[in-house]
Amino acid sequence: MFTKILIANRGEIAIRIMRACKELGVRTVAVYSDADQNALHVEFADEAVHLGASAPKASYLNVDKLIQAALQTKADAIHPGYGFLSENAAFAAAVESANLKFIGPSADSIRAMGDKAESKILMKKAGVPTVPGFEGLEAEAEFKKAAQEIGYPVLIKASAGGGGKGMRVVNQASELKEALDSASYEALNAFGDQRLLIEKYIAEAHHIEIQVFGDEHGNLIHLFERECSVQRRHQKIIEETPSVLLTPELRAQIGAAAVTAAKTVNYYNAGTIEFIFDAHTAQYYFLEMNTRLQVEHPVTELVAGIDLVQWQIKIAAGEKFPFAQADFRQRGHAIECRVYAEDSANGFLPSTGKLLQYIEPRGLGVRVDSGFAKGKEVTHFYDPLLAKLIVSAENRAAAIQKMQNALKEFIVHGVTTNLDFMQTVIAHADFRDGKATTNWVENVLLAKESEPALEHILAAALAELTLVNASAVRSESKNETDPYSPWKTPNGFRN
Amino acid sequence: MKIIFNAHAVEINKSTDGYLAEVGERRYRIEVLSVDKTSGRMDLKISAVGAPALEALVQSAYVSADGAKRWVTINGQTSLLTKTSGAKQRSRQENAGGLTAPMPGQVRGVAVSVGEAVKKGQTLLTLEAMKMEIRIQAAYDGKVKSIHVAPGQTVEREQNLIELEV
Repeated sequence: MFTKILIANRGEIAIRIMRACKELGVRTVAVYSDADQNALHVEFADEAVHLGASAPKASYLNVDKLIQAALQTKADAIHPGYGFLSENAAFAAAVESANLKFIGPSADSIRAMGDKAESKILMKKAGVPTVPGFEGLEAEAEFKKAAQEIGYPVLIKASAGGGGKGMRVVNQASELKEALDSASYEALNAFGDQRLLIEKYIAEAHHIEIQVFGDEHGNLIHLFERECSVQRRHQKIIEETPSVLLTPELRAQIGAAAVTAAKTVNYYNAGTIEFIFDAHTAQYYFLEMNTRLQVEHPVTELVAGIDLVQWQIKIAAGEKFPFAQADFRQRGHAIECRVYAEDSANGFLPSTGKLLQYIEPRGLGVRVDSGFAKGKEVTHFYDPLLAKLIVSAENRAAAIQKMQNALKEFIVHGVTTNLDFMQTVIAHADFRDGKATTNWVENVLLAKESEPALEHILAAALAELTLVNASAVRSESKNETDPYSPWKTPNGFRN
Repeated sequence: MKIIFNAHAVEINKSTDGYLAEVGERRYRIEVLSVDKTSGRMDLKISAVGAPALEALVQSAYVSADGAKRWVTINGQTSLLTKTSGAKQRSRQENAGGLTAPMPGQVRGVAVSVGEAVKKGQTLLTLEAMKMEIRIQAAYDGKVKSIHVAPGQTVEREQNLIELEV
């Protein structure tokens, strides 16, 4: 087993990984940027190394500095988490050439699967169904021709992409150029690679993915599906397992396809095969493989009964995975809600600021993987994910009820969150009936700004007399950014 | 005392058995069962004056203050209120030609120049925050009057970016 692991990430996932390390008796090294010097993951680690400026390129995406930090702290392995460099084959290779262990798949597997274009070609060969489209195009004219051939709407995706970054739906030819420009910029910024691919946009699609897990001795199994159809801006907000759409036969079929896909690239460690699922035809198409731990891995952990992060570490240390496919079955139901600092009623725009209040829900079957606490700052440099709220219960109805209650117990002040919005989603008949497709949020459920309820106004008024003491009211706000605010003028009319 | 949140004026005063609040024509009795300053939590019973107080349910309200802002959560619903003086507020209309940053971030590019004619919906400049790109678009046909930012510049929320004139 390793003695010390450097976690090349931040936020909730860095803390999740550090917990697994501590449980295995492994020491932990955090890394951080300027903006994160007081972040929770830094406090949580045994030691921490400053990487550089706040922009990801200067810190969490800086390969040299990360490897230097690992060597300097005498870490023997690096866990990349998700996002940032987790699916960067060059990083995995650089880690290995520095005589450190990369906790994840081989650089070759990442290269083969991390590239959406190359992986699509591989999957076609292996007999795994894929979405009609084209790979390897460069000039705008080529994309234009391809789009015409496929037929609008089309989807532009970053070849190296993931998590909806560098992804654009294009409805007509006139939108194509701007979509290509902004997608390639976003792709370059997020993944350091601006290549794009184009494919048919499947409008009424469900997102179903299969968790796979294998060791470095040739054993590889799947750990069932996760349905992640509730998305906004192509990014998941709610995930669950099992999916109500799969029959046992279909589950076995997709699971087998996922295992085939992973074995095609000699995969080991944790990975996820994403499929687009058409509920009308029960057809599934390979979308991409995420060659890393997923954000939504906890729902699988709860239903399959396995600690994926601990096993990632043990596998990387050379252990054999002692379980066979038949050892696993799905037990109960789990749902995850991603708590984002964003304004659901205002185009899901991210919200930044200092957390004035932060109280997590508790109880049987309630898990919170969090990267924040009261007093911490949410900055504009990184993803707006505050925490993941995961519940598990005996069945789906009970899990939905539990989630509804847990969302209500979660108190976050200082930034706008999607906690209210997710209650609306969870309570919606379409969600209950498993009818939510990947564009359902944008088409059906756009949240509207609402007037504050009377009791909120009364409570705020009452708080002036009971709760908000003089110092709190008069302290200048760090979040107040309007230079013309009347509250900032010396002769302000605040009473 | 009189307190105004957004456009809602509340007259609230201590009474013998709690607090009495007036909002417009309506009056409410508020009984405070507990106050916890650490969590910002108050357990309240709110009932309309005239209605039997016993029928009011106990509600837990969480309130945080930040300058003039008040965050209030009751039963999982969160509101952001702004305490005002009641004087005329600087409204968005007064600033109709100006486009402000919807969120803090960095200016990625400015697509227009001063004096340029622009069409409604045209992208004027792009911002980047939390790895997301946001396009600032013209709300109407017009001309660029002034540009207050340059590419690479970091901007705060509601900072003026660009001004249009018809």
